[in-house]
Amino acid sequence: MAPDRGPPSSSHSNNTKNTYLVYAAAALLRLFLFGAFPGAGALLEGRVEVGSCVCGFKARTGKAKTTSTPQAPLLLALFSLIPTPHFHLITALLYITLDLLAAHALVRIAESHQAERTRLFKSPRTGEGWDSWIIPAAYLFNPFIIATCIGRPTSVFTSLAILWSVAHAVGDKPMSAMVGLGVATYLSMYPALLVGPMVLLGYDRQEEEKARIGASGKRGDEAEAAEGNEKEASSSIWLFAAKHTAVFTAGLAWLLYISYILTGGSWEFISSTYGVQLLVPDLTPNVGLWWYFFIEMFDSFREFFLGVFWLHLGGYVGGLCIRLRKQPLFVVVTMMGIFAIFKPYPTIGDTGLWLSMLPLYRHVFGLMRYTFFAVSALLYACLLGPAFYHLWVYAGSGNANFFYAITLVWSLGLVLILADSLFAVLRDEWEVERPEMRGKEIRQI
Amino acid sequence: MLPFLFTLSLCCLFNALIQADGHYRERLDLTPLTPPSLLASFQFWGNSSLKSYEQQHFRYIPRSLGQSLQHSRTEELHLRFSSGRWDDEGWGAKPHQGRKEGGTGVEIWAWVKAESEADSSLYLLHGMLPREVVCTENLTPFLKLLPCKGNAGIASLLDGHKLFDASWQSMAIDVKSVCSKDEDLCSIEMEQTVDMVLDIERSKRPRHDPIPRPAHKESLLCDETKPYGTDDACFPSEERRGQSWTLAEIFGQPMQGSCLAEDQSGRVHESLYLHVPPERETIKPEHAVESKSESTSVRTYTPNATEPFDMVLSHLGPQTFNSHELPALFASRSITGHGQERGGIQTLLTNPSLTTTIEFVYFENLPWFMKPYLHTLRSRLSASSTSDPELIKDTIYRPALDRVRGTQLELAISVPANSTMILTYDFDKAILRYTEYPPDANRGFDVGPAVIKILPTTSGSRDQQPQQQPSYIRTTSLLLPLPTPDFSMPYNVIILTSTVMALAFGSIFNLLVRRFVGADEVEGWDFSYARVRIGGWVLTLRDKYLGIGFGIGIEKEKKEQ
Repeated sequence: MAPDRGPPSSSHSNNTKNTYLVYAAAALLRLFLFGAFPGAGALLEGRVEVGSCVCGFKARTGKAKTTSTPQAPLLLALFSLIPTPHFHLITALLYITLDLLAAHALVRIAESHQAERTRLFKSPRTGEGWDSWIIPAAYLFNPFIIATCIGRPTSVFTSLAILWSVAHAVGDKPMSAMVGLGVATYLSMYPALLVGPMVLLGYDRQEEEKARIGASGKRGDEAEAAEGNEKEASSSIWLFAAKHTAVFTAGLAWLLYISYILTGGSWEFISSTYGVQLLVPDLTPNVGLWWYFFIEMFDSFREFFLGVFWLHLGGYVGGLCIRLRKQPLFVVVTMMGIFAIFKPYPTIGDTGLWLSMLPLYRHVFGLMRYTFFAVSALLYACLLGPAFYHLWVYAGSGNANFFYAITLVWSLGLVLILADSLFAVLRDEWEVERPEMRGKEIRQI
Repeated sequence: MLPFLFTLSLCCLFNALIQADGHYRERLDLTPLTPPSLLASFQFWGNSSLKSYEQQHFRYIPRSLGQSLQHSRTEELHLRFSSGRWDDEGWGAKPHQGRKEGGTGVEIWAWVKAESEADSSLYLLHGMLPREVVCTENLTPFLKLLPCKGNAGIASLLDGHKLFDASWQSMAIDVKSVCSKDEDLCSIEMEQTVDMVLDIERSKRPRHDPIPRPAHKESLLCDETKPYGTDDACFPSEERRGQSWTLAEIFGQPMQGSCLAEDQSGRVHESLYLHVPPERETIKPEHAVESKSESTSVRTYTPNATEPFDMVLSHLGPQTFNSHELPALFASRSITGHGQERGGIQTLLTNPSLTTTIEFVYFENLPWFMKPYLHTLRSRLSASSTSDPELIKDTIYRPALDRVRGTQLELAISVPANSTMILTYDFDKAILRYTEYPPDANRGFDVGPAVIKILPTTSGSRDQQPQQQPSYIRTTSLLLPLPTPDFSMPYNVIILTSTVMALAFGSIFNLLVRRFVGADEVEGWDFSYARVRIGGWVLTLRDKYLGIGFGIGIEKEKKEQ
């Protein structure tokens, strides 16, 4: 089936023009914020919501290449190359560039229309999505993303790597996608869970492109070609998966080897970079659920609950891949949401990234049931979170429970959006077989 | 009878052959400081030859300590117990040039030989316990290490009530080996020191009645130039006047004779040294021997070995005081900033000398939960506002490892004459696990003091003597408040966080596993159907109990249906 290449060229060039306008406006806004509020950077990078202990700016500039730093060695090397006199200006420009690159990756994902139709699925609501220039606007003007840009944590590099890897996967470049995912995994461990969905996405796109080229090439004998394709499909997906997992592993191994050489021939950086993520020794408050849990935990149960939390984080990807086999891009988006809520050191940057990827599924927003409630909960948490943190740590008139309660509300709000978006996509998928149920009440059994 | 005599003589012979050698000496220095205070320094020296030490013949070195040191392969031990604060400006330089003082709490450093036989190098181990409260339970075993066990000699003056009521006290144990030029004449020396600064007024309160009472108006030193309304109170006079005191009043009991004052040659050592100018009048008992020297303001007393010894320093006569020695450096350290997320350290180092630059090494050992940022270290003179990196000659920095070791920071600093240097850096505070907090978590954590070693100078100056040995100064310890979680919450946190995770997992699991059907297609629990049925029951009940009056209404409904 030849995929519809989209709207006619006049609105396509309109899209492109609007996209560049959006980029320019976002860059100007960030430059203005960096310039007009020079103290904002120092303020935001110190805030626990923006920069956690593993990706904070001060943690990076303050500590030299010692074993106590939780940063990836290549990132440290990159930052040590920046000359000190114009450090602030150069990092500002660097982060603005990173934001624009991430927005461009989102544009590529939106323009491929993978959200609305994949190789195995075509949404009945195709055409209700937003124009592709609105997606980067949703990313670049998202207040969480702006705050993250000003605060300059290193999680932006991981987000960019993931986005580019997805963009390459939907652009039928699965090898580059795997290398990108390797870079993301090297920087923080958790993108390794995206290997499965990314393989599926890459495979689907590759098969789609092959079918398109095959169909446009020779028109005859389509039935025979389709039959042969089906037999090959099941074995070739395993071959595809094996090949690309090997590419991912090789990329990751190569990056680790370079870091080994950079740190003077020792593997100690592994325990300080990945050990910190895995074993959560640093319990600085952040917007996640892990820190207070592991503060109040008695030592004898620590390892058990660490295992439970990591198992919980990693347990979603299998079920999602099986159930949403037809829409691997949505599996990636949902996994981004699960990372934003349940990873050890989340920041609002991760939340902002996931919320910016959700507009790709604008066509199912009408099926979501609890939007108002979830947005209210998030707004409540955004306003009270910094206030209660201040009351606890600075004013001394509140205690840790206030801030902890807000992190619970924040997580619940995000869980609500996650579950709701999953419901909406599943219902949309179901309505392909039952088109008469559009607008009717349904139940799950 | 005969076998008994034989055994006895054999024992005596044996004893004579293997008698442990060494000698013992003790000394008490009393120095009145600015009038309300008195510095009392008790020093006890015991030594033995290395041979008898290794053969475990302990006489003047206590067996308990000696055997512990041998078992742990310790070559040299320095143990300090301190509490209180030394007033630099009022009292001058620390006694023994700060070498016998440790940080608040307990401090220990030792040279230990390596574990394996092949490695013969010595390792220096250093530890601090700033939170430890030094009290009588530390004094009692300290006294038990002495040969006379604190029952005779100057140690009989040491009483827990008086010692720990002092403004500042420090107890020290030093064990080291001293070798003469030729290697086979080595000996082990043990020195025990107790220094205290007593407030005379407070110490004179009797033990049975420690409540402070207002002084009688005759004993008040009034400033006559300033009249006051009432008769029983007046403005205090600026004139410094010492009080009279006796040893029994200050320490609670007189000195019980002397301990091993006679050495092998038969000479009796003096045990009490009083540092007052020659004009001051003292009264001593007859059986004691006093010797004054006109050139130095030191008077020595040799008590009788068996009689109790007491002496009086009278307030009569000219009231002159020994001028105190200025300390070489004034140091004070404090925490800056507010909030429990981050803070800063500020250290003020003042060189009072008008002519010489002072060189010293500033050593800090910070706990791991205090994470300094070395790139924020700034040093400037108080006169200028810009940082001057020339002041710090050298830096040794060893970063912390979480829960393993703390930060070690060592700076070689030189401060010019008559100036104050301000050293600042920022640090972050960590939040700890539930079990890592002490019982009174909101009091905060104690951070050990900074140790400043003033390097020996070769040339003297007008106000200071050239120092041959380094002298030490310690700043005060710091109280670091850390963010605390709510300690009543472990169960609640577990269930609340688990609830959120269960809600997430449950919702997503339900969505993934269950299939969609229309609302009216499913059997069993159907809400709209249930609604109709319950509505019907309500109407039936209404008809039954409210009678025919509503019969017309029911008829109407039935027609509509």
